[in-house]
Amino acid sequence: MKDFIKVENVSFRYDSNDTVNKYVLNDISLNINKGEFVALLGHNGCGKSTMAKLLNAMLLPEKGKVFVNGLDTSEPDVSYDVRKTVGLVLQNPDNQLVASIVEEDVAFGPENLGIEPDEIRRRVDEALKAVDMYEYRAHAPYKLSGGQKQRVAIAGIIAMQPQCLVLDEPTAMLDPKGRDEVMATIKKLNREKGITIVLITHYMDEAVQADRVVVMDSGKILTQGSPREVFSEVELLKRHRLDVPQATELMYRLVGMGFPAESLPLDEDECIDRLSKILK
Amino acid sequence: MLKDVTLGQFLPGVSPIHRLDPRAKILFLIALIVFIFITSNYISLALVAAFIVALVFMTRIPVKMYLKSMKMILFIVLFTGIINLFYGRGEPLVKIGFLQITEAGINNAVFVAVRIAVLILASSMLTFTTSPTDLTDALERLLKPLTVFHIKVHEIAMMMTIALRFVPTLLEETDKIMSAQKARGADMESGNLIKRIKALIPVLIPLFVSAFRRAEELATAMECRCYQGGSGRTRMKRLHFGKADLYGLAACLLVLCGVIICNIFLPATVR
Repeated sequence: MKDFIKVENVSFRYDSNDTVNKYVLNDISLNINKGEFVALLGHNGCGKSTMAKLLNAMLLPEKGKVFVNGLDTSEPDVSYDVRKTVGLVLQNPDNQLVASIVEEDVAFGPENLGIEPDEIRRRVDEALKAVDMYEYRAHAPYKLSGGQKQRVAIAGIIAMQPQCLVLDEPTAMLDPKGRDEVMATIKKLNREKGITIVLITHYMDEAVQADRVVVMDSGKILTQGSPREVFSEVELLKRHRLDVPQATELMYRLVGMGFPAESLPLDEDECIDRLSKILK
Repeated sequence: MLKDVTLGQFLPGVSPIHRLDPRAKILFLIALIVFIFITSNYISLALVAAFIVALVFMTRIPVKMYLKSMKMILFIVLFTGIINLFYGRGEPLVKIGFLQITEAGINNAVFVAVRIAVLILASSMLTFTTSPTDLTDALERLLKPLTVFHIKVHEIAMMMTIALRFVPTLLEETDKIMSAQKARGADMESGNLIKRIKALIPVLIPLFVSAFRRAEELATAMECRCYQGGSGRTRMKRLHFGKADLYGLAACLLVLCGVIICNIFLPATVR
């Protein structure tokens, strides 16, 4: 389905009486298709977290409109349905878990939706299996690692069976191992369950794994396209003080020094491939 | 340093006591407390104490854990025991200055000490064998009738659940902040009481700030998960009184009969 989420000319600022500060989001438009994996990149303060909250009606646009599955988020009484469709996972896993037992925390969302106990049980088990945390279902969250906690938080959202998952820097507080675990989980959910993913991140290596990368800068969309398209615009990204993946950076510099290369690589394997061709 | 608090800790297990309905467990605890306080002679006191000790063994939790939680209130037991020692009336057995120890005093002291000790034993048994969520859940369901009086039972239970959930998180945070302040040269271990309390201020302020920030984020997360208060909410766990709960009830009634019979037919040692 096209235009599953539609952001139309949205402007937003946190204090509408504030005439000094600029808008956090400035006349921004974005479409997200069903089943897509979109990465939203940008600096701190570029408005990407605000964008996340606009997508599930935690915030409402000042100008413009956000449609989720055809529902206008600014209409009264739709926030419940919007949040059922678009689940939001936040940065700090510690502050998202409500109960002191993993499975009871995952059950929190479905319980709020008023679902029958047997069905909740089924959904909780399914969600925990989907994030590979089933064997930890009776554990206390504070005894888990950061990556495990974040996966429990994701399970808590997918137990509500949303069609879209928005993750606001879910790996920012995790160690490399936890980051890999969470990324693997996100990709699995996208691939196997067809859940639409909007991943907000400032790790380029994570953005590379998406179908589409949207780069934001000071409340606007700077550029968007497939990871390969976006990261080949190295000059543009550098001008806005944004990084490119390390492999791309290396090759970019080598090309600048006169080495021949047909296109810039996105990850280490591709980079090795190109380098070995040059060295032959 | 804050890790060895045993009171109120949950120790998962599969004993018959663990498997009782949490609502039944709360009611049994209340019943046991009542029993302990209506006993009026040594036989009935021993009966109740023996019953509770038997239950303690049934939980299959190391006795060491119970002793640990007793250790924390040992001072209170001794203190109230000793105070009571001097409060008996009648013929003094020993006289030290204006203090006198009588037979009634000794009886009082023993009763008070045993009652408090058994009380702690019984309540640690409840918290050891019941998960905090089960406990708050059971309380919510038991207190449900109070909603008639506009008491916000669900909200209170929710607050308890969240408070219990954040106890370890905030303890960990306190430890971290204390280390951070110590690394900057804060001295928290020396000086008199006032000085030490003052030294805690740089720990408490960041702790409070972060607790408020956490609360705000948690509220956002709960809203994201469609939390709208207690109405229209269902629960995953179904509670039901089973056979085991009936056996428990029968045992409690038996003990109650025993206590009443002892109280009636044997002379009372304390009033």
